[in-house]
Amino acid sequence: MQTEEAIIHKLAEKFSILKDKLYVQRSKRIISEFLTREEFEQVLPYLRDKMGFYRASHVVGTDEGEDLGFIYLLTNDEGIILALKEKAPKSDPKISSLSGDYPSLEFHERELVSLFGAEVEGLPAGPSYPLPDGWPEGNYPLRKEWNPEYFDQNTMTYNPPIDDKEKEGGKK
Amino acid sequence: MSEYNRVVIPIGPQHPSLKEPGCFTVTLDGEKIVDVVVGIGYNHRGLEKACESRNYIQIIYLLERICGICSHTHTTAFCQGVEELAGISIPRRAAYIRVIVAEIERLHSHLLWLGVAAHEIGFDTMFMYAWRDREAVLDILAAVGGNRVNYGINTIGGVRRDIDDSLRQDILKMTDALQEQVKYYQELALTETTLAARLAGIGKLSGEDALKYGAVGPVIRASGIDFDIRAVDPYAVYAEIPFKVITDTHADVFGRTVVRILELLESIEIIRFCIKNMPDGDIVTKAPRRIPAGEVISRTEAPRGEDIHYIRSNGTERPDRVRVRAPSEANWHAMRHMLLGQYLADAPITIAAIDPCFSCTDRAIVINSGRETELMDWPRLRQYSIDWYKKRGIDVASIKIPERRMYF
Amino acid sequence: MVQADTLWKVMAEQAMIINYSRGDNALSLLKKAIAWGTRKSPWIIHFNAGSCNGCDIEIVDALTPRFDLERLGILQRGTPRHADVLVCTGAVTLQTKDRLKQIYDQMPEPKFVIATGTCACSGGVFNGCYCVMGGIDSVIPVDVYIPGCAVRPEAIISAVAKLLGALEAQQKGGGKDADRRSDHSQVSREIQYFKG
Repeated sequence: MQTEEAIIHKLAEKFSILKDKLYVQRSKRIISEFLTREEFEQVLPYLRDKMGFYRASHVVGTDEGEDLGFIYLLTNDEGIILALKEKAPKSDPKISSLSGDYPSLEFHERELVSLFGAEVEGLPAGPSYPLPDGWPEGNYPLRKEWNPEYFDQNTMTYNPPIDDKEKEGGKK
Repeated sequence: MSEYNRVVIPIGPQHPSLKEPGCFTVTLDGEKIVDVVVGIGYNHRGLEKACESRNYIQIIYLLERICGICSHTHTTAFCQGVEELAGISIPRRAAYIRVIVAEIERLHSHLLWLGVAAHEIGFDTMFMYAWRDREAVLDILAAVGGNRVNYGINTIGGVRRDIDDSLRQDILKMTDALQEQVKYYQELALTETTLAARLAGIGKLSGEDALKYGAVGPVIRASGIDFDIRAVDPYAVYAEIPFKVITDTHADVFGRTVVRILELLESIEIIRFCIKNMPDGDIVTKAPRRIPAGEVISRTEAPRGEDIHYIRSNGTERPDRVRVRAPSEANWHAMRHMLLGQYLADAPITIAAIDPCFSCTDRAIVINSGRETELMDWPRLRQYSIDWYKKRGIDVASIKIPERRMYF
Repeated sequence: MVQADTLWKVMAEQAMIINYSRGDNALSLLKKAIAWGTRKSPWIIHFNAGSCNGCDIEIVDALTPRFDLERLGILQRGTPRHADVLVCTGAVTLQTKDRLKQIYDQMPEPKFVIATGTCACSGGVFNGCYCVMGGIDSVIPVDVYIPGCAVRPEAIISAVAKLLGALEAQQKGGGKDADRRSDHSQVSREIQYFKG
C-alpha cells in the first residue's frame, strides 16, 4: 500500500522534471501540472511499468487558450487516480497515441481528434466518429472559440460574424 | 477460409433488439465473428459544450438527462464534485438520502437489465416477471422524487426532498417483497439448466483482459476483480455502511447475471441499513452560486460501473469544462474483445450483458475498427451469392422465377 | 380472387365501416379493411432519435404486465415495413436525422407519428446543443405530441387511444376512404394535441 505522498516522493526522486509539479489534491487524487510532450513521454512508461498505474480510465481534453490540454486519468490497483497532464500548442497539436499500451483509451483519443482537433500520432485508422457524417472540416466544437450559436444545423455550416472570422483566420 | 468468404453484416441503427440506436458492423467467417466495428454516436447531442453556457444549477438538470436509467448517479457525481470545489460538506441526512436513492436506482436498473437479458435469449417470461417487479421500485422512486424516471433529488449542497417516516415504511415494505422475488431469480439463475447452458461460456473476459480494456462495474466484478468505487473510493456515507463487494469467477455472461442478482440483494441490505440509521437534521446547506476556481475528479459507482466526472471551474457561475466518463463508455472496448471469435447468434446477449447505454456514451463518441472492412452493396452481395452457389454446382441465375401473381 | 373478395367483404362488414354502393370494388374494400385494421390493431415501431433512454424504457414499460398495451391490440414490431405508428423519442440529432427520415419513408401508408416526451416535442433541455436539430417535427410531420420528462406509460396509452379515436372519427365522418391523407399536416390539424 503506497500512500499518495510516497508516490509523489518516488516520482520526484526519479524525475527531476516532476519536482513540485505533482500534488495531492485529496486522498486518492494526485494531480500534475501540465507537462510538455517530451516530459510526458519520459514519465509515462515508468508510471505504467514500475508504479502500477497500468489502467487508464480516461483522457479529458481541455482548451488552455493558446494550447490544448490533455489530462490522462491513470489508476492503480488501490484506486488512486493520477491525473497526468500534457500540453500541445493549438498551432501544432500533436500527441502520441497511448492506445497500444492502454487499449481503453482508443475511443477517447478519437474524440480528441474530432472535438478538439488534436493530431494523435499512431492512432489506428478507423471510420468517422463522434460527430455526424458530413460535419464540416476544421470545426472543433469543444474549442472555446467555437460558438454553437453560429452553427447552422440544417446546412451543417459554421458562419461566424465577419469580425470573428478575421480573428479566427489563422486558426482555421 | 479466405478473405473472399467473409461476410459483412451491418446491424442497426434502428435495431430489432436494442431500444437505442447503435450500428454494429460485424464481419463473419462462416458463423464466427472475426471483426466488429462499433458505430455509435447517434445520440451525440453536444452536452459538454452546452454545460459551458449554463450555470451549475441548470447543469444538474441537463446531466440528469444524460441517461434516463442512471440519472441519479450522474447528478450525484456532479454535485459532490462541485461541493468539493466549493468546500462545503452536505448534511449527513442528505448523504443518507443520496445513498438510498442511488441504491433504489440500482435495483431498478438491474431488474431492467435482467428483463432485457432474458428477452435477448428468448426467455420472455422472465422478462415480464422482472419488469413487473421493477414497477414496485418505480412506484417508490415516484413517491420519493415525484417522477418515475428523472427524480431530481440532488442539488448542490444536499438533496431537494426528504424521506419521511411513512415513506420509509413503504420502502421497507417494497424491499421485503422484492427480496422474495430476487431470491427466486437467484435460485432460477443458479439451478435452471437451460438458462445456465445458454449463458455459460458466452462473452468470456479474463480478469487480465478486463483490467487491460478498462472494464468497469458488474463486467469486471464478474471477472473476479473486486473493483467497486463504493469500496475503493467511498463517497457519500458508503464508508460507514457494511456491504460486500460481489464478485464472481465465471468471467462470462452467466457470471455477470449472477453478480447483478446478488447485487440486488446487497442493495436491499444497504437500503435497510440506511433507513434504520438515517440521522435527523437538515437535508440541504446553502451553496454559493459562484464556485471557486479549481478542478476536481469525482467518481461514483453507477449501476453499470464507475462514473467519472471531471469538473473545472473558473470562479464564475459557469464551469470551464465538464467531462463525463460514463460507465458504458469504458465497457465498449471490453465488449468488442468479447465478441471476437463468438458465434453471431450470441452477439445480442453479449452486447446486452455489458448493459450498454448509448445515451451515456454518446455525449462523446466512439468508433472502433481492428481492420479495414468493405461494405457490400446489394447488387454485389447478390452477385457474391450467385458465385458462391455456382462454385458448389448450383446455378441460381438460371432458375426461372414465375411471374408474381397479382390478386387485386 | 373470389375467396379474397369474400374475406375482405366479411371483414369490412364486421368493421361496419362500409355502406355498400355500386362503386365498391375489391380495391376500395381492401382500403377500408386496412383502415379498420389500423384502427383496431395499430402496430408500432419505436425509434430513438437521440433520447436519454428514459422515454424509451417507459415505452417498453407500457408493454409489460402492469400496463400491457398489447391487450389493446397494439404490437411492437421490429421493422418499419410492418408498422402503422412510429413512436419517436428524443431530440433529433444530426446523426439520426437521415435515418429517421428513411424509417418514416419505409412505413406503409397510412402512417402516423407520435412524438414521445418533451425532447421529441420541442428539443427540451437539449435545445441549443450543436448536434441537436430540435423536436421530431423539425424532420418529419407529427400527429400526436406527448409532453413529459419522462412520459408516463399511462400518457403513452392515452395518446395512442386519442390517435385511434381521432382516426375513427375521421374515417366515419370525414369520408369513406382512409387514404385521404395525402397531406400529412392535414391530419395533424384535425387531431387535437394531447396534453399529458
